[in-house]
Parts: sequence; C-alpha cells; structure tokens
Amino acid sequence: MVLRSGTLGLLGRSSGVIALALAVFGALLLLSGKNPLRAYVDIAAGTLASPYGLSETVVKMIPLILTAVAVAVPGRIWLINVGGEGQLFIGALCATWGALSLGGLPAGLLLPAMAALGFLGGGLWAGAAGWLRARGWVSETISTLLLNYVAILLVNFVVFGPWKDPEGVNYPQTAEFPPAAILPALGTTRVHLGLAFALAALVVFGFVVARTRWGLELRAIGGNAEAARRAGLPVGRYVVLLMFLGGGLAGLAGMAEVSAIQGRLRPSLSPGYGYTGFLVSWMAGGHPAGILAASFLLAVITAGGDILQMSQGVPGSVVNILMAVILFVVLGWKVTAR
Amino acid sequence: MPALLRSLLSGAVLSGTPLLYATLAELVSERAGIVNLGLEGVMLMGAVTGFVATARTGSAALGTAAAAGAGAVFNMVFAFLVIRRRANQLASGLALMFCGVGLSALVGAPHVGSQIAGLPELPIPLLADLPVLGPALFARDALTYAAVPAAVLLWWVLGSTRWGLGLRAVGENPVAAFAAGRSPHAVQYQALVLAGLLGGLAGASLSIGIAKTWAEWMTAGRGFIAVALVIFAKWHPLRAVAGAFLFGGAVSFQLLLQARGVPVSPFLLDMLPYLLSLLVLAVGGGARRHAAPASLGRVFQGTP
Amino acid sequence: MKRTRIATRTLAALLSAILLLGTGGPGAAAGLKVGVVHLGSVSDGGYNQAHAEGVQAMKKNLPGVEVISVENVPEGADAERVMENMIKQGATLIVAASFGYLEPALRVAAKYPDVKFVHPGGYKRAPNLTTYWASTPEAFYLMGIAAGKTTKTSKLGYVVALPISFFLANVNAFQLGARSVNPKAETRVVFTGGFLDPAKEAAAANALLDQGVDVLGVIVDSPITVVQTAEKRGAYAVGYHYIGAQKFAPKGWISGIAFTWGNLYTSFGRQVMEGRWKSENILGSLKDDFLTIAPFGPAVPADAVQLVTATKREFAEGKRQPFPGPLRDNRGVERVKAGEAFPLTELRKMDWLVEGVIGQPR
Repeated sequence: MVLRSGTLGLLGRSSGVIALALAVFGALLLLSGKNPLRAYVDIAAGTLASPYGLSETVVKMIPLILTAVAVAVPGRIWLINVGGEGQLFIGALCATWGALSLGGLPAGLLLPAMAALGFLGGGLWAGAAGWLRARGWVSETISTLLLNYVAILLVNFVVFGPWKDPEGVNYPQTAEFPPAAILPALGTTRVHLGLAFALAALVVFGFVVARTRWGLELRAIGGNAEAARRAGLPVGRYVVLLMFLGGGLAGLAGMAEVSAIQGRLRPSLSPGYGYTGFLVSWMAGGHPAGILAASFLLAVITAGGDILQMSQGVPGSVVNILMAVILFVVLGWKVTAR
Repeated sequence: MPALLRSLLSGAVLSGTPLLYATLAELVSERAGIVNLGLEGVMLMGAVTGFVATARTGSAALGTAAAAGAGAVFNMVFAFLVIRRRANQLASGLALMFCGVGLSALVGAPHVGSQIAGLPELPIPLLADLPVLGPALFARDALTYAAVPAAVLLWWVLGSTRWGLGLRAVGENPVAAFAAGRSPHAVQYQALVLAGLLGGLAGASLSIGIAKTWAEWMTAGRGFIAVALVIFAKWHPLRAVAGAFLFGGAVSFQLLLQARGVPVSPFLLDMLPYLLSLLVLAVGGGARRHAAPASLGRVFQGTP
Repeated sequence: MKRTRIATRTLAALLSAILLLGTGGPGAAAGLKVGVVHLGSVSDGGYNQAHAEGVQAMKKNLPGVEVISVENVPEGADAERVMENMIKQGATLIVAASFGYLEPALRVAAKYPDVKFVHPGGYKRAPNLTTYWASTPEAFYLMGIAAGKTTKTSKLGYVVALPISFFLANVNAFQLGARSVNPKAETRVVFTGGFLDPAKEAAAANALLDQGVDVLGVIVDSPITVVQTAEKRGAYAVGYHYIGAQKFAPKGWISGIAFTWGNLYTSFGRQVMEGRWKSENILGSLKDDFLTIAPFGPAVPADAVQLVTATKREFAEGKRQPFPGPLRDNRGVERVKAGEAFPLTELRKMDWLVEGVIGQPR
C-alpha cells in the first residue's frame, strides 16, 4: 500500500528521516566504541517499552506540551514568546503562595485555586510584555527573554528569604505543601492531572484556531497586522490577550510541576522547559498535532540521553552532541513538499 | 567616589567586552537575514578552542586566532542547515547550541585545570596613568582594546562598503538582491563566517582574556543576552557598544554594591542588569520594529 | 513511493525488534553496581569531580565494583527518574551527589528498600539512606587564622556561589578564625548566583579587590578563576576543592580545603557488599580524612603555620569549637549566648552572617 497523502503520508515520509537519524546516531555511537543496538534497546526500554518508561515519558511531555502551546498561541499573530521559562516560574510562585496561604482548604478547592493563580501569574507576566509591545515600546522577544531572568531571581529571592522553609533546614526551598495542594497522580506512576491541562490546551487551541470566528480573525491579523488594524480589528488588544493566554499556559505548567512533581518551590524547578517548549513549538510549526509529536520526541531524547550515560557510559557531553545531531538530521530533511 | 567610579568602569569593560563581540556577531548574522539562536554554542567552541590552543602552544595570540577560526567553522554547520537546506532557523540555532555545549565539553574535559598565562595586559603609556580612566580603559589586553574599533569597523563596512551594502540588501529582501545580480546564498555564507569569527572571539575573550580557564558552559547564557542586545541596539553596531557596556556595567554595579555591603538581597541586586535594560528600552521609545531587517520578519513567520 | 515503503518497513522492523528484545534488564550479577548522580560535570576540577574520584577510589579498593554515572542531572523530577533507571540497570548503591537530590532520593529509597542510598549534606534519613558531610567550619577557621596573619590590609573577601547555610557557616568560621588573631579583620562576601560562571567570578573577585581586600577565598565549583585573579592583582588566595590550585598562585597562596571522599565511599561499598549496612548521619571532622588541608604557601608567616597546627589538634581533640558564644550576627542580633557553642550538627540552620562579615545572607 502506498501512503501518499494526509497525516499518514506525512508519517510515511517522516519514517525516512527518523530512520536516517537513528542510523546516524548509531554510527556515531559505533565510532565512540559503543554498542548502538544495546543502546537502542536500553533507551526504548527506559522510555517506551516498559510501563514505567512510558509513564515517565508522559510525565516529561506534560510541561513540554504546555510550554509549547504557550509559544504557539501568541505565535498565531507572529509574536515571539521566549519567556515560557519565566512565566512557568511565576506561575509556580503564585501557585506556591496559594498552597502556603490557603492550606486549610480541601483539595477540591485548593487545587483549582492554585491552578487559577498559576495561570494568572504566568499570564500577567507575559501580558506585561505584550502590553509593552502593544504600546510600541519594547519587542516582546527581548522583554520576555529579560523577564525570564528576573522571574528566576524572584523565585530565588523568596526561597532564600521570606518563604524559606521554617522547618529551619535553610535549604533554598519553601515549606512542604500540604497534601491537599498536591495534584493527584494516576496509580503508582507519576503521571498527574497536569496531563489533563496539557491535552485540554492542545484540543482547545486546535479547535479555536481552526474552527472559530475568532480563530479566523487571528489568521487575518497574522497575515497582515496593518491591514487588519485598518479593517477595525483591535490588534493591540489581541497582542496583550494572546500573550496573556500563552503565559497563562506556561504558568499552569509551573503550577503542575511544583504541585505534582516537587511538592514545594525550589529554584531547580525547571530544567529549561520553557526553552525546550519553544523548540517544540517551532519544530511543530505551531500545530497542535505537531506539538504532541515533537514533545514526545524531545521527551524521549532527553530521557534517552540519561539512559545512554548509564547503559553505555557515554559522557554527558556526548549525549548533548548526539541530541543535536538527531535534531540536525530532522531539521535538515525536507519532510513536507513545498 | 573616584575609587567607586574606577571600579565600576573597570568592571563594565570587563563584563561588557565579551558581550560586545557576541552582539556584533549576532548583528552581522541578522543584518543578513539570519537569526542564530545558537550563538551560545559558537562562543563555547571559540572559548574551548582558544583555551586548549593557548594551553598547548603557549601563545595566547595563536589561541585567539584558533578561537576565531573555530567559531567560523562551527557556524558553517548552522549555515549549511539554514541556507542550503532551508531549515527552520530558530530550531536549528537551538540545536547548534546543544551541539556546541556538548562538543566544547568533550574537547575541554581533559584540559580543565590547565594553566595558561592568557592574554597579556598591555598598558598604554601615559594614558594608563590617568586617574580614573587609566586602569579601567587603558590597561587592558588586546582583545579588549580591539572590541570598540571592531564595532566601528563593522559600522563602516555595513554602511559604506559594497560588500556591506550587499549584505544589508540581502537581509532586507533576498529576492530583490538576487534580481539585482547578487547571490544571496553566497552573501549569507560570508556573513555567517564573519559572525562565527566574532562569536569565536567573544568566547576567547571569556576563556583567554577574563577567566583564563575552561569550564563547561562557561558562557552562562551570554549568547542569548547578545540576541537581546542586538534588538536593543536596533541592529546598529555603535548602539551595540552602548548596549553591551550598559549591561556589563549593570552586572559590575550589582557585584560592587554587594562588595560594599549594601543591605539588599543579592538576588534583587542581580536583577539590575535586566530591569535596567528593559527600562532603557521602554523609555527609549518605540519604532524599534521598523529597524529590523525586513526578511527577519519572515524567519519568525516560518517562511524561509 | 518505493523509497517510502522501504523506509517504513525498515523502521517497523527495527521498532519491533527493539520491543521484542524487551527491557534490557539488570546485567549479570557483579560484586556491586554503584550508580552516581551528578549535578554538574565530573571534570569540573571541583565539587562533582571530588565525588567521582571518591567513587573511583571505591572501585579500586574493592573487587567487582561497577560504576554507572550520569552527569548534568537537574534536581527534581529528572533526578528521580535517573535513580530509578539506575536501579533497573542493577545498581544496589546510589550516590546522590548534590544537596537538592535529597527528596528525590528519599522517594526512590521508599520504593526500593533493598537498594542503599548515600547523600551528602542531607538532613533526613531513611533506613536505607545515609547522610554524610565533612564539617568544614573547623577547616575554614584554620584558613581564617592563616589569612588573618598574612593579610596586610585586614580586609578579607569571599566569592560564594549562593547563600546556602553550609557556605555561610564556612565564611563565618573563616571570619572568626581571622578575628582570633587579628582584631581588625573583616570579611566581605559577594554571591555570584550560581555554582560555576568563571567570568562572573572574575568580576566579583575584582569588585572585592577594588574595595581593598587582599585575601580572596572562594566557594564555587572550581577555585581556579578567583585564585588566578587574586594572584594577578598581588593579593593572597585561599583555595577550595582543588588542591592543585596552588600552582595558579605561587606567590599569594595561603592554603586550601579539599574533599577526599575515597575512604568514606570505600567503607560505604564495603558495608553494602558485606551486608553490614547501617543508616546513619556521618559528620566528618578534621580527624577524619574526608577533608584535606592544602600545604601552606610561602607568604604565610611561620608562626601562623604553627598556630594552625596547634589549633587543628585542639579541634581534633574536641577541645575547641569553631562557633563559641557569645556571637552576634552582622545585624546585631545575638545568635549564640555566652558559654554556649553553635552545634555543628545544626549547621543547616545557620542562615546568618557573623559580626565582622559584610554581606547579605538572603
């Protein structure tokens, strides 16, 4: 059967690039004196072929999907949101405030409150950048980037200072969250309710963009902002709104990570999810299905990297190189016909 | 007061020089229509190559040259991807960064702890004895001295030479440039070579000039700050000088405040450079978008 | 298209092969498989390398030890996953070599009661998780004595990564040691905000030197930059982590402190192999070999060296405490009453800087 058109066709053509990437990856491993087949088996086992591996891959995908949509939403009108990392941290910060101040509430109230706080925090952080852009003062690319650093420093400030764990251990961390503030997980895995956020974000995003009048307006602005403005569309308002929504999703990712995975706020909350999400979104061309696929790929690659170090004794630096090479192959291959 | 000023100025030059080279590197690239988010990786390759070469040969001059060369060669990987294969520039840049981080760590690992003399300080007679400005500006190494002249040279090249104008034309509208008889691809390759050289020098200034050591990921995000500073500078080399030293000065300032025991949290102080940059940008007013090379807009729209 | 078909089928075959080959489970039973989780790079010439070298020493001293190690593991979710994967690969002893790995390690330890864990600097234990640390304040006190007698300006400085309590305690001990021989001694602290950023460390060092400081100490992952900067500007240096740093400061070197975990790790390995595991909280002091003090440089006066040696003996014999009361912090608040001493087991609670230290601890 010849697969040519539609998503199946894309998958068929993509298999070529995946096969090539695997081959190049394997060749490089062979050159460094390692066993590629053993490496693949171990990576697959650790990320796909076992229930534990698969669940961990999903755990890693959750923040990546959210931060990717955080980039894709403003990306609809060509706004560049590189601030996912900062928005994630601010969302986590606000959710932490909720967990620590409203701790008496039952989970049914506390968790939605934390989610709302996380969304609001991240949203305002990005919205501020959007506002600066709408007023024509500062490009959002630069403001969101600079605000990332400010956000991380702010989190450092509170965990070393006012919110430091009163148990007196003086580690840079806040007090432990009450059990009601922890997002529940599925069974014995670490896959948590944040997955619902991520999937909902994808579905809603895809739906709105493709099938609503609002989505069409966005497309008009994205096509030609000046013409749209003259046609009466409130471009400035959309700029702020989309940045707010995007930031809110990243903030939600922060809330999910701090609540489900960490259980308290620490400076080491995110290993760069905001930036990886940016990469995911751009690789996927801002399309929801692509975001799902690309976040899966990156989750497997980063987890696979650790396994590679364990299984084959490959030093951490080589893992970065291999990751990059896979990305080079995937990016350099023209999968879609132009 | 003079001691404070001297310390501040000196620190601004120290922290600002690598940023200036990096900003110029990214500026060249973007004026030709290419956004390189992997500048961090290029700088790292320059830093490690420069350090290892200096350690092996004992010559900081050779090391610096090797750093520039390594930056240029490494940038060619990126050039091939985005020019020849027309790959997504933003994602390719990030991939380049990962590659640079890993490759530099691999190359540098056996050399951690090696000792180099680094770039020698070359005080300018008479000028170095000036009260405040002397030690800060005129008792520096060659790379530091060359930074501002490099910016001025770049400004002249982009503004008055045929090659520079051609580069800008390609950055504005590659199709029109092509119709006018230029070869956009060739120009972009050349721009990326120059960008790689400058990025390599930025790395060298870190490893051979300032720190005189090698550590994994020692650029610590300066490549990304440079991307921001290019926008800050409105893609103009002389404004890049102001931006780089403003930022470097702010970094130096907050460290100085800490050293003087100012009773503010070190984390709040550390925010200074970023907030200051934002403030200057916001106050400096709008119309920034119109300064961008036109074809950069299409990078962000996903069309190559 | 024929090419696509071939590619698709090859890929399908490859995937099936991998899935069929199943979970690459634990390897053949060796003497002991040790998993080491590193926050940074093992060739950093500093903190991470010290742990890696300790594990290598274990491997050399005991038969049949296999080591799997992962570098650059962020604290948090990734750390847990890495530890679990190590256990799935057959590791029965996990070295979680960074402060922030404590809670992930405790969670994984609860899941795998038969696997043993060791964690440096931890404050909570489990039946299968031991915590350990080397009590550095005593060593820093000795450094302070040497620095206090060597300095010409009585202004000392420290470049520190982050205001973590262990680091604050080190700086406090240093200042107290310096004060004990030099009543005018004061120590300024600058935080760089991260464990390794050489250019920023150089800038911080210069900022301190510009204030008239003539002794620079350092608490970051690698001491090289700060030591070199001090030497270049004619100041003295106190090293950390990497004893070899002395070669960077032939004139200005005072001394330094390094962690040498080899014997401790060997004893951990032996405990696991011989089934004698005991969960405990180990606090090494100067009489243990977890800490090594570097040789003194030529600038340190002979009477200082003698005093340091004598004081070291007093510490080792328990006749002396690095934090005896009364102590005030640098905001005037009394922290230790007269007649008492700040207990070394409670170091993690020291979130203040002692009087005489100029800096902000939070």
